[in-house]
Amino acid sequence: MYKVRVTMLALMASLATGCANEPRSRDTANPNVSGETLALQVCSNCHGATGNSTSPQFPNLAAQQEAYIVAQLGAFKAHSRQDPPGPEYMWGLSRSLTEKQIQELASHFAAQKPERQLVEGRPERIEAGKAIFTGGIPDKGIPPCASCHGPEGKGNATFPRLAGQHVDYLVKQLAGFQRTNDRPSATLMKTVAHDLSHENIVNVADYLQAMPNHQER
Amino acid sequence: MRTTPANFPSMLTRMLLRAMALIIVAVTLCPDDAAALPTFARQTGQNCQACHAGGQFPELTPYGRLFKLTGYTIGERTLPFAGMAVVSDSSVSNRSKSDDPKEDFQKNNSLIFATGSVFAAGKITDNLGAFLQVTYDNYASQSADGQFHGHTNADNMDIRYADRSIDNSHDWIWGVSANSNPSVSDVWNTAAAWMQYVPVPSPTSSSFIDGSAPYPGFAAGSNIAGVTAYAFWNQTLYLEAGGYRSASGVASFMSAGIADADKTKLQGTNPYWRAALSHEWGPNSIMVGTSGMVADIYDDPLDTSDPTTIHHFRNIGVDSQYQYLLDPHTVTVQFAYTRDNQRIPAFLANQPVQDANGNPLPNTNSTDTTNVFRAKASYIYEAKYGTSLGFFNQTGTTDSALYDPTRVYGNISGNPAVRGWTSEVFWTPVQNVRIGLQFTAYDKYNGASHNYDGSGRNASDNNSLFFYVWGAY
Repeated sequence: MYKVRVTMLALMASLATGCANEPRSRDTANPNVSGETLALQVCSNCHGATGNSTSPQFPNLAAQQEAYIVAQLGAFKAHSRQDPPGPEYMWGLSRSLTEKQIQELASHFAAQKPERQLVEGRPERIEAGKAIFTGGIPDKGIPPCASCHGPEGKGNATFPRLAGQHVDYLVKQLAGFQRTNDRPSATLMKTVAHDLSHENIVNVADYLQAMPNHQER
Repeated sequence: MRTTPANFPSMLTRMLLRAMALIIVAVTLCPDDAAALPTFARQTGQNCQACHAGGQFPELTPYGRLFKLTGYTIGERTLPFAGMAVVSDSSVSNRSKSDDPKEDFQKNNSLIFATGSVFAAGKITDNLGAFLQVTYDNYASQSADGQFHGHTNADNMDIRYADRSIDNSHDWIWGVSANSNPSVSDVWNTAAAWMQYVPVPSPTSSSFIDGSAPYPGFAAGSNIAGVTAYAFWNQTLYLEAGGYRSASGVASFMSAGIADADKTKLQGTNPYWRAALSHEWGPNSIMVGTSGMVADIYDDPLDTSDPTTIHHFRNIGVDSQYQYLLDPHTVTVQFAYTRDNQRIPAFLANQPVQDANGNPLPNTNSTDTTNVFRAKASYIYEAKYGTSLGFFNQTGTTDSALYDPTRVYGNISGNPAVRGWTSEVFWTPVQNVRIGLQFTAYDKYNGASHNYDGSGRNASDNNSLFFYVWGAY
């Protein structure tokens, strides 16, 4: 009987302390779990282990700018990013992340290689999108996307990589910039997107998704 | 008393008026913020629709499937308790073809608190998690004076240990589940434990709504105790195998609250298996799977001394599920089929049977086969507005043992066939409340379309309208 009690006490104590398995933990509130582990054990469920997501519901993160990921995770954690993925998925998962974990997560995904994808858009749309990306729409005062996101769409610091991103995700984000204030840190994009037509948005998204990324392998 | 199809609109109006009052209360009491969510949502901080397709609980999204397979361990430990309740109102098409409508159609056209559950669920350690459901049935039994009596008992239970090895080139999830119900450990909605639309009232109060129509399943049912081991390789191949025994000893909590006479008593360890192939592309995912169980069940749960009283069941099923998930659209198409072969114990086989007039019927069978097929398609917009259409078809061996001349519930053909459709519209005003209206139309009931009970009742007389408010907190 004594042995049973001791075993039960030991079991309860171990449960109470969490029985941490930090190298393979999915605990988003344990600061000792590395960002690399969380990227594989948790984030990969939607974004893929290599940051190449299957579903267009979730953005590709492979080779995304480190500073951009850090900024977005901070914005989700602070609930300042309020577009649907925030309350639906990201506020909760980011709520207890430490700065160190956020940095490690960003480093993990920034270091991944984008996968070649099937091109989604029609050639004429892609051409029209390329014109907007490289030259903007001068008549509407819309600057070229490439001026901030780079000629190959790789992004720069807090300007995100766009090359190879899912069409649906890009369209929803551009529409969100245009119609809502859900991403207050992206005031520049609100101005840029203000006069884009829906067709402009789809064209530029088609071009971005189709941008050749195999050169980066 | 007869409620003809022509009277359905007025019944619908009454139900909708009651519904409106309920909806106002439900929506007022349910702020749409994370603080009011059930335990898994608190644990991950995510919305219900992260794990449930279009917010249509209990159907899981690809992410929800991985959450479950990794042992409910994503997120952070929080208060692991939640509650769920269903308020409903059902109405059967024809109550005139009955000797005692009040007795045959209990609580017809009455708004009732049908059922409620409490859950203890969530992350326990980095590898251990649980989903424990205890359910209260407000209409579990009825005494001689007609009074209903509520009852609480153990319901779905799943305690699992899981681990995952993942890097850029491989992904292995494996685990062990101790659970109370074959397929409750499954992550696809076509599994027997999960395909049903909505928790429905006890049959003593509402008999012909969708939940009482046949669903593919395993003869051993629930409230037994099993251990299964599973593995999911590269999110493609899922394999699970294990065995189930009567819930006794340390596992007796899995049948807590069930009267001994109502328990499933199994002989020895009874094998269960499951295999599924899953594939995702873009916003689409598809699964094709098969499952089965062989079970030896004692005829009398109170007497397990005689092995010659055992019913031997062999259940084999195939199922498939397709999902398209891309905001604001959710589409699901499901198929499930189970074949049940039963060897009947010698003392019940080859027995003489007479019909109501004393004429001899063929002797009872020594083996029976039953097939149940279900298909369902659903569409949800913005995780708020949904509709679905389901088809069910049960066929099987004619057996004089099924002969029953009782009015309304009887079966004079001895054939178990039931066939029909269930259509539904529902609304999710806030993510943890679903309000729905179902109509179940029977094309065949207890073996026949017409006069199945020998007293003139037709299958379509059982067509039923079912309104529900389902909330979880």
